[in-house]
Amino acid sequence: MTEPKQLTSTAEVTIGPEQRPLIVTLIAVISGLGSLAAASLLWTQRPEDANTALILTAAIVLVGLGLLISWGLWTLKNWARTAVIGILGLVGLYFATLVVFDAFAEIFGGEQIVPLLKILKSSGLALLRIAAAGAVPLALVYGLIRAESYFRETTQEREVVDRSVWYVLIAAALSAVIIVLLIILFTGKEAWEAITVVGILDMVFGLVWRPGSIIGAEGAQLGMLPMIVGTVLSTFGAMVLGLPLSLGAAILLTEVAPPWVRELFQPAIELLAGVPSVVYGLFGMVVLAPIIRKVPIAGNSGFGLLNASIILAIMILPTVTNISRDAIRAVPKAYKEGSLALGTTHWQTIRQVMLPAARSGIVAAVILGIGRALGETMALIMVIGNSIAMPSPVNDNPLTLFLSTARTLTGNIAVEINYATGVHRSALFFSGVLLFFMILAVNSLARYLMRERLAP
Amino acid sequence: MSGKELSTPIPEALMEGATARKGAGSGSLTRRKLSQAIAFGVFWLAGLLAVAALFWIVGYVLVEGFQVINVEFLTTRPQGGVSGEGGLSTTIVATLYLVVFTMVLATPIGVGAAIYLTEYAADASRRSKFLARLIMVARAGVEILAGVPSIIYGLFGFALFVVAMNTFTGGFSILSASLAGACMVLPVIIRTSEEALLAVPRSYREGSLALGATKWQTITQLVLPAALPGIVTGLILSVGRIVAETAIFWVTIGGSYRLPTSLKSAGRPMALHVYMLATETRAFDKAMGTAAILILTIVILNLGINLTSRYYSKQVMGRTQ
Repeated sequence: MTEPKQLTSTAEVTIGPEQRPLIVTLIAVISGLGSLAAASLLWTQRPEDANTALILTAAIVLVGLGLLISWGLWTLKNWARTAVIGILGLVGLYFATLVVFDAFAEIFGGEQIVPLLKILKSSGLALLRIAAAGAVPLALVYGLIRAESYFRETTQEREVVDRSVWYVLIAAALSAVIIVLLIILFTGKEAWEAITVVGILDMVFGLVWRPGSIIGAEGAQLGMLPMIVGTVLSTFGAMVLGLPLSLGAAILLTEVAPPWVRELFQPAIELLAGVPSVVYGLFGMVVLAPIIRKVPIAGNSGFGLLNASIILAIMILPTVTNISRDAIRAVPKAYKEGSLALGTTHWQTIRQVMLPAARSGIVAAVILGIGRALGETMALIMVIGNSIAMPSPVNDNPLTLFLSTARTLTGNIAVEINYATGVHRSALFFSGVLLFFMILAVNSLARYLMRERLAP
Repeated sequence: MSGKELSTPIPEALMEGATARKGAGSGSLTRRKLSQAIAFGVFWLAGLLAVAALFWIVGYVLVEGFQVINVEFLTTRPQGGVSGEGGLSTTIVATLYLVVFTMVLATPIGVGAAIYLTEYAADASRRSKFLARLIMVARAGVEILAGVPSIIYGLFGFALFVVAMNTFTGGFSILSASLAGACMVLPVIIRTSEEALLAVPRSYREGSLALGATKWQTITQLVLPAALPGIVTGLILSVGRIVAETAIFWVTIGGSYRLPTSLKSAGRPMALHVYMLATETRAFDKAMGTAAILILTIVILNLGINLTSRYYSKQVMGRTQ
């Protein structure tokens, strides 16, 4: 007996279009009249020098949209309801943003401590202003949400919505590739001047970097080889120091350590990945540099390739550890079990079965680590010394090469871009292009290796 | 899964390796055990060193930093100059603005892209060859973008947003920086959201479609809510990236320590403040204080990620069993 009852109650909820709720009528009238008023305001208050055709078009579009939405609401179309809720939400956000900017200016802008009472007062006032400005839109949004059951949507309209959603989403999906193209386009365009004036080979293999901003455009020399060498050496140093550490940690976390150690180490490594690069740089400046300076060699400032390599080694550790850990974990259990069943020790199994099976993944991890090291910027500027000379050993011992100061390609861009002009700036953009393609090549190689692993 | 693994043939190269190394296993058990002990000792050393490095860096910065952190440091603005007087209040605000506007720009696009790639791409690829190629290109774009180093985003943002779109963005400004930052976090959001959406069981979608819901209704009312905690994890990760980022903002935001009064005004986020204090002033203690606040922020964000993913596995995975 309950079922027919429910049926009748559903029938009662289904109210025809003639029973329009008050709030919907209200918003329909507001949006129609409001768009007319706004358009006439736009037209009468236009500045003297404004483009009349443009403003007229804007006003007409405004009126058209307003009338369309009020017609949609009047006939209880669902799309109109969604549009109004969206617009009201955006307007509310806009006003909230303005109020927040104002309130923060009062609380945080001063050179003295703002007393707590004043903070409370201004934040209370800000909340009140938000509440006052937001009350009407919020009430309207609430009413519209409550009035959902009055709105109708035909199958045809639903399909139109579905199709337009499809277009919007594919545009979003293509955004990444559009950004890549824009990056290539804009950095390439800016780099073009240097390519035509100086030439690619002269820049890549030039030994002297003396940009025009320092000595005048006439004698400018824009050779990047010292920076390229600096980048390669610091990355190499980071690999030498960081790889044993990262791979050892990866094997420890997958095979050797008991679960509770993994539980402890995992968040630590995640934190290591999240620490801002400037914090590493600051640590290198304040802690590592004085330690390295203790090595009694003339010309050793504490800043230089060694410091940079140590900092970079710590920075790439999370990347390499996580990816090689995943690679080792992905080795089928059967390999391990089969090997252990043959009577090998755990270490023999790791060395002779698991590591070879995970090889391509581990290589990919190393390559991705290299990619990260090549692209790192701010931490390196802080510890590498930033000299534009070619790195060279500070005394007869070739190992002291790592005590010499240097500059990386990335650091070169960051240090000089803010004041560079003309060919100099263009050359900096060229080093960006160079870096982009270097890292693209490195990452593609890593991706290729990882894909190979997935499809044996 | 395991059945499939068992049936995969062991790669030939591996078999060759195993036969070639046959002699290696012939050592006495004690010798093999000794070499295992040495190797494992080395791994423990590596792991402990890694964690020790973390504790040294984080511990040092926190201990040194907390010596300068007080109410005055937190609520007054930097006063510039070589001595680096003043606090960091305006940089906190600038960081906040930057995070909010970057996420407002990047989240809809990133999540939208992830929805397309998981929910529509397979169908579309089957329907037309052109679309299949387009989707392949889109995926490649995400992969490439994920590997682009931040200074390149900075250069790009400088050329496009600061210089070319000067009248719209106000040159060096929070808006320019947010646009460049959004490009950086976009691939992060797309990848994590894609993973979260893929983890939603197929039966959810099939059930909803069978009830007569359209695809878009299914996505907004079933798939997205189910994937929400996973998506939120990705968003928090992106917030962390923005808070930690320096190189992009160094060339796009202007670096003024005054309080930003609108989207078009310049500013200085906390990470950039650390850099500028450390390189342009002698105030290493203030830099340490700011760095300590940065680390605390990252720790809190990481905790947030852990909590959401724990909640996520309980909610979604629990329901499917």
